[in-house]
Amino acid sequence: MSGDLGFIERINISSLTGFVHSTFRRTINIQCKENGELFTIASSQVDNGPNSLVINAASLDEFNIDVNEAVFVKNKMLFISNKLAIVIDKADKWESILPEYPSNTQNVIRNIKKMKEYIDNHGKAGGMKKKLSSQSPYETELSRLLEERTILLEKELLNNRLAHALQHAVSLIGLGPGLTPSGDDFLVGLFTTINLRNSPLYSQQSFCEEVVQRAKPLTNEISYMALKKASIGKVRESIIHLVHSILYGKESDLYLSLNKVLNIGSSSGTDIALGLICGLEANLRVGGQL
Amino acid sequence: MTVQAIVKPNTYFDSVSLMSLSTKANQIDGVEQAIIAMGTEMNKEVMKNVGLMTPEVEVAKSSDLIIVVKAETDDLCESAFMSIDELFTKKDTSKGKSEIKYSTIASAAQGIPEANLAVIAVNGAYAPREARKALENNLHVMLFSDNVSIEDEIELKKLAHEKGLLMMGPDCGTAIIGNVALCFANAVRKGSIGIVGASGTGSQEVSVRIHEFGCGITQMIGTGGRDLREEIGGIMMLDGIKALEEDEATKVIVLISKPPAPSVEEKVLAQIKQCKKPVVVWFVGGNEEKVKQAGGHFAKMSKEAALKAVLLAGAEENKLNKRALNIPLIEEVRAKLTPEQKYIRGLFSGGTLCDEAMHTAMEKFDNVYSNIQRDPNYRLKDKNISQDHTFIDFGDDEFTQGKPHPMIDPSTRISRFIQEAKDPSVGVIVMDFVLGYGAHEDPVGAMLPAIMEVKQLAEQEGRHLEIIGYVLGTELDPQNLEEQVEKLLAAGVTRASSNQNAGLLAREFVVKGE
Repeated sequence: MSGDLGFIERINISSLTGFVHSTFRRTINIQCKENGELFTIASSQVDNGPNSLVINAASLDEFNIDVNEAVFVKNKMLFISNKLAIVIDKADKWESILPEYPSNTQNVIRNIKKMKEYIDNHGKAGGMKKKLSSQSPYETELSRLLEERTILLEKELLNNRLAHALQHAVSLIGLGPGLTPSGDDFLVGLFTTINLRNSPLYSQQSFCEEVVQRAKPLTNEISYMALKKASIGKVRESIIHLVHSILYGKESDLYLSLNKVLNIGSSSGTDIALGLICGLEANLRVGGQL
Repeated sequence: MTVQAIVKPNTYFDSVSLMSLSTKANQIDGVEQAIIAMGTEMNKEVMKNVGLMTPEVEVAKSSDLIIVVKAETDDLCESAFMSIDELFTKKDTSKGKSEIKYSTIASAAQGIPEANLAVIAVNGAYAPREARKALENNLHVMLFSDNVSIEDEIELKKLAHEKGLLMMGPDCGTAIIGNVALCFANAVRKGSIGIVGASGTGSQEVSVRIHEFGCGITQMIGTGGRDLREEIGGIMMLDGIKALEEDEATKVIVLISKPPAPSVEEKVLAQIKQCKKPVVVWFVGGNEEKVKQAGGHFAKMSKEAALKAVLLAGAEENKLNKRALNIPLIEEVRAKLTPEQKYIRGLFSGGTLCDEAMHTAMEKFDNVYSNIQRDPNYRLKDKNISQDHTFIDFGDDEFTQGKPHPMIDPSTRISRFIQEAKDPSVGVIVMDFVLGYGAHEDPVGAMLPAIMEVKQLAEQEGRHLEIIGYVLGTELDPQNLEEQVEKLLAAGVTRASSNQNAGLLAREFVVKGE
């Protein structure tokens, strides 16, 4: 069992009450009354993440937990109604810490090229990656908007005009199928790269915060939470591993960690990975290395 | 080609399931295109661009799941929705959940053939369509939605009447059918008294008093607030009386409403005259003589209505605790209030509870103002500014536009309470705290910090401020009645044992010179 350091501390000081916001086979989201944020109880098949607690259960279905059930902390244990009690004293503490941007970027340039090729072959289509098979008018229009808006965003980012990029980033929020819309996932990847310490865009973190300030009414609460955390560099463990592999890893490391990200959601992993590429290329360009 | 949409509010499915459902939905026979996506602004923009926008999609929120189907005919769309519903149901079942969610009335009626009632709470623009579908599927209807036109209400009620079904509502917030509380209702004992009510909290109050007197309810049928207006003609109240007359378990019938339109009153009284069961009538501010002439049992107030009903149902009067007014307390409070503290401020979440307390005050004072006064001369010019004796119904439309009902969200009333407490001419503030299904989980707790604050303020200013609290609820309600009352008492609030007593106490506390 493991969990986000902040989440564990919150349980230790008994400052978490709330209710179940949404339930899935592998995750249960809790709406915290104290700060309004979502916290996640995840099955052992899910990696660590911000505001998450990974418990020793393969599936969460067996607990029969329903939306709106009460959540509270007592004696340093997290209770969901009378159906689940989580003891955290033996949980491994995890914290989302991104690697530093390297001074030598040759590895980054090489890995991005490989990553693009890999996504072309193995990435999931339907979101940022276009479907090659025939599409419905809805899918065609969605792809068109995603592509158009991403190109505009990339163009401004590559020219280090983040003020202009803001409107294009906002226009992606909530766009796309899935629980976390493709546009949001792409931005999660992009925000991650802007939060890499020592990166050329690191000084532009306010861009992420400004986008998130406008995001709340444009997407659902689950996706908003991922965006909010990513805007301050807090992302899932698998994304951190992938970023590390891109920055410092060998080809074999890269594919291993890329595969894990590509397996997130339906097209979510691919959309996140493409957001990472976009942000890293912008960093390289702004840093004069591309 | 036709495009139809269904919106599932606050519904989340993981991305993989959504994609899989979307793919399968597009393979359904007759479907040209099916989309299952979250209702974000951007996704709605895509739908608009490709001609798939519908009124339902237009109002969907980011947390809602949208299902849009484009097919050759309406029937094909309807059948596609049923198939998609099955896909969702399979998904839910595979998760081990016992609850099945249906997205259309037709599919629910087909999926649960033993169902005989539909509770509908959708945007008023679509409510008549859904209610019609339910009636056409031979389901009684409780229509919680408001903003339904008079014309639609008449049409729905006539259709229900022809089919021998109940059409409760629109704007019907309270009912108990077959001992099951629907929407806002309290957990009360099963018994032999049936209620037909055109006012939600009025019906709740009488049902709770009946329960407290040791008796119980067979059915509590809501009619919707406009049923006794001239245009509607009391269709539902008349059908409700008939239904209770035919119901073997019901021995006594109670009717609750604001005074009906004269022509409707005549019809109701005529039916009372023909009814073989005793009928108690509490029409707030109503005419005693007419009711008596029709053979009914007139009640001027809520507790009186409950008392008459339980006595008619066979309760022994000498065994009942009628909870008489605390006369010594009245003297004590009068002595604490200064001559300047002349006025009552009633801050209510329940409309009929407010109306009853207001009418009680009107018996002794001329200057009683309200946002629900029927006399335009005494209607508040500005709902935010009180005048002399003022009674506010915070559940009235002007306070609830774009906001939840005060029985769910007490914030508007809390700030008004603080405002009133600062007025040195105020002697008494009286408030209701409604418990039961659907109501706030801790209504007293939500008000407590404000109560403490104003008590302290009054003390610093050297004046006594009398606060009366009435908790409408039973020991069977999901909230803890005893705990709610204890919180009030601990904060120095005077607890009224009924709404009737709350109104009487408030009035008597500020009567001067007696």
